[in-house]
Amino acid sequence: MIVAERKPFQEIKDMLKDAKKVLTVGCGTCVAVCLAGGSKEVGVLNAELKIARKLEGKPIELGAATVERQCDREFLAELDGVIDRYDAVVSMACGVGIQFLAERYPQIPVFPGVNTTFMGANQDVGWYEERCRGCGTCFLGITGGICPVTMCAKGLQNGPCGGTNNGSCEINQDQPCAWQAIYERLAKQGRLASIMAICPPTDWRNQIPRTIVQPGYAKRKQLLAK
Amino acid sequence: MTDIKQTDMEEITIATDVLVIGGGLAGVRAAAEIADLGYKVTLAEKSAALGGSQQNPGALFGLSAEEQRTVADTIQAVSAHAQVDVLTQTRVAAFAGVSGDFTVTLATAGDVRQQKVGAVVVAADFTLQPLNAAYGLSLSDGVVSQSQLDALLADKAAEARLGGKVVAFLVGFGQEGNPLVMKRVMKSVAALAAIEGCTVYVYVNNIKVAADSLEKLYMEGRSKGAIYFKLTEAPHVSPDGKAITYRDLVVRQDVELNPDLIVVEEALVADAENRQLAELLRIDQDAWNFLQSDNVHRFPIQTNREGVFVVGASRGIQDLPAVWTDAENTAMAVKGFLGNGTKRVPKGKAVVDNGKCTFCLTCYRCCPHGAIYWVAESNKAIISPVACQTCGICASECPMDAIQIGGFSDIELKAEFLGNLAGGAPRIVAFCCQNSAFEAGQMAAQFKMTLPAGLQMVKVPCAGKVDLDYILTALAEGADGVLVLTCHEGNCKSERGNTYASWRVEDAQRMLVEAGYEKDRLRFATLASNMGKEFSTLLLDMEARIKELGLSPLKN
Repeated sequence: MIVAERKPFQEIKDMLKDAKKVLTVGCGTCVAVCLAGGSKEVGVLNAELKIARKLEGKPIELGAATVERQCDREFLAELDGVIDRYDAVVSMACGVGIQFLAERYPQIPVFPGVNTTFMGANQDVGWYEERCRGCGTCFLGITGGICPVTMCAKGLQNGPCGGTNNGSCEINQDQPCAWQAIYERLAKQGRLASIMAICPPTDWRNQIPRTIVQPGYAKRKQLLAK
Repeated sequence: MTDIKQTDMEEITIATDVLVIGGGLAGVRAAAEIADLGYKVTLAEKSAALGGSQQNPGALFGLSAEEQRTVADTIQAVSAHAQVDVLTQTRVAAFAGVSGDFTVTLATAGDVRQQKVGAVVVAADFTLQPLNAAYGLSLSDGVVSQSQLDALLADKAAEARLGGKVVAFLVGFGQEGNPLVMKRVMKSVAALAAIEGCTVYVYVNNIKVAADSLEKLYMEGRSKGAIYFKLTEAPHVSPDGKAITYRDLVVRQDVELNPDLIVVEEALVADAENRQLAELLRIDQDAWNFLQSDNVHRFPIQTNREGVFVVGASRGIQDLPAVWTDAENTAMAVKGFLGNGTKRVPKGKAVVDNGKCTFCLTCYRCCPHGAIYWVAESNKAIISPVACQTCGICASECPMDAIQIGGFSDIELKAEFLGNLAGGAPRIVAFCCQNSAFEAGQMAAQFKMTLPAGLQMVKVPCAGKVDLDYILTALAEGADGVLVLTCHEGNCKSERGNTYASWRVEDAQRMLVEAGYEKDRLRFATLASNMGKEFSTLLLDMEARIKELGLSPLKN
């Protein structure tokens, strides 16, 4: 799941300083699950904005809407027509949703209500931990299901480095060494041989936005392009 | 605590088989009682035999010959009972579902089976923990635990070896203790004092005799010549256990005695597996891992989950008569809960809007009653009308506002507290838990205590229903002050409703400060239902503070 956190209130307020009619748009999927941008958080942000702006003597008119996913145009379509009544939009979706929303309504300023932070797992209510950086070349199969790109401070694909320190990382005693964990898990599974092979480095240069077309849909994409 | 305006009822069918976990004294008795009421019982015991630790001759907690016979008879009866399926060397491997419809996976050496049960009885045993370390001692030939002494006394030949010896007991300094600990000590004191030439000293803090016949047992030991030194602090014991020194307050000097044998007290602690079992069954524990939280509403044998009961040692109950009573009560409670397998429950206690539910599991994780579950076919949260206590914690935590509580929907509550925010006197919205603060408020009003003219009490089923959004919206729409009034700590019927409310108030205060507003306009307090006077004082104090701050500048 994509994990985000609410932006500091002051930052949101500053972005909206010239706006008088604002629509706050929540997203009902990832950011709702991580308690940052669902309909509850939309209501809470609006109440907070309302209080702050009234106190400043600059009352603001606020609308609220939450769509299933802001990264799907069919769900965004629910805002068609509605959005024109506002002079600014705050999107509580992840960076993908915010951009997709802004792309659909280029005439209206769209502001981010959250900072999109990582892809992570849910440890408990309100507690999330990063597990994946979306490098595009998953090699969890040879690292015992532990991702060094995410969990190693250097993102090493061939580790550990000389900074491994009795199970901790050199950057911080509280940060476990990913490669130590990989070694221990593989040792338990009797698969240590799998990390002896050198892993080719990921080419991080000249990264452009990636597009994926699932194999069965290549022809559909060609048709759409025509 | 259900307060549902609609009277619509529905009938649902539940499973009526019962799982009893633990085949100790409590477990076998509960299984026998429940089976006698006609329910099919599975009795799962982790060890190879029924009876538990108390059946062990070395560790008999002072069971009389008659009590031992009764225990043996009960084990016999359970083993032969047509309605009881006894599974030894069996553990609970997995547990799912909801009250009245649990699915339990039992693992018996090499075999795994799954079954549906309507109710579960947990009857874990105690673990004995010798407290020698509290006296700076290691167990050795000269220093033994109470259990080791019990074993020694059970062996006739060893008893003869104690003749002419000096035996010293250390009790009540390693722990506060309880009557059962004391009973074990006093029984062996009496037995030792009866041995020719055996001298018995007992170094003791508080002598716990508040149970049936313990005073008599104490006198018996004394009359046979045992000497008690009742001290307020632990005597000094040499590390080898050869010398015990204490300050005698009468002769005002240190007195040293040299025992041949030291007996150290033992604590009765929760079974090591309780923690794991609690997580599996989703029931609360206390600080010592006994399976009931320290909550005044957890009446004997009840847990935070409907249909899950705890008896005997699993909840810290000690002696046999009390364990027997627990087992009998459980059978009645099981019958009360399962009945004939058909339950009538109110419709719409708590309703999930499937269109809004994003299946984030927040409600499942927050529900203090384990009332929320899901099935693979739906992939949405489902709230069991059997288990739900309508506290509303889930509704207020749901990030999609997808849950509504019958009689306390967001629309109804918002209409109530937003409807009356204009006017001259400070408008104070007090969200009151119906179990405590609301009663206190009514008492204050009934007894004509002074209350703010602009007070508006909003009754909520539990403070856990007070949504962050309610608090902020009330203030944003012009309430001059907001109070969130809950039950005292450890007094919430829904265990954590008051805690959630306090967290939300803290969060809202942080947001008010961010927005440049006075956080004193929001206050959290705990009350009991009989605290009408305090309710009045609290509200007047709040009103006075609001008058200092001035009326809300946010009124429309």
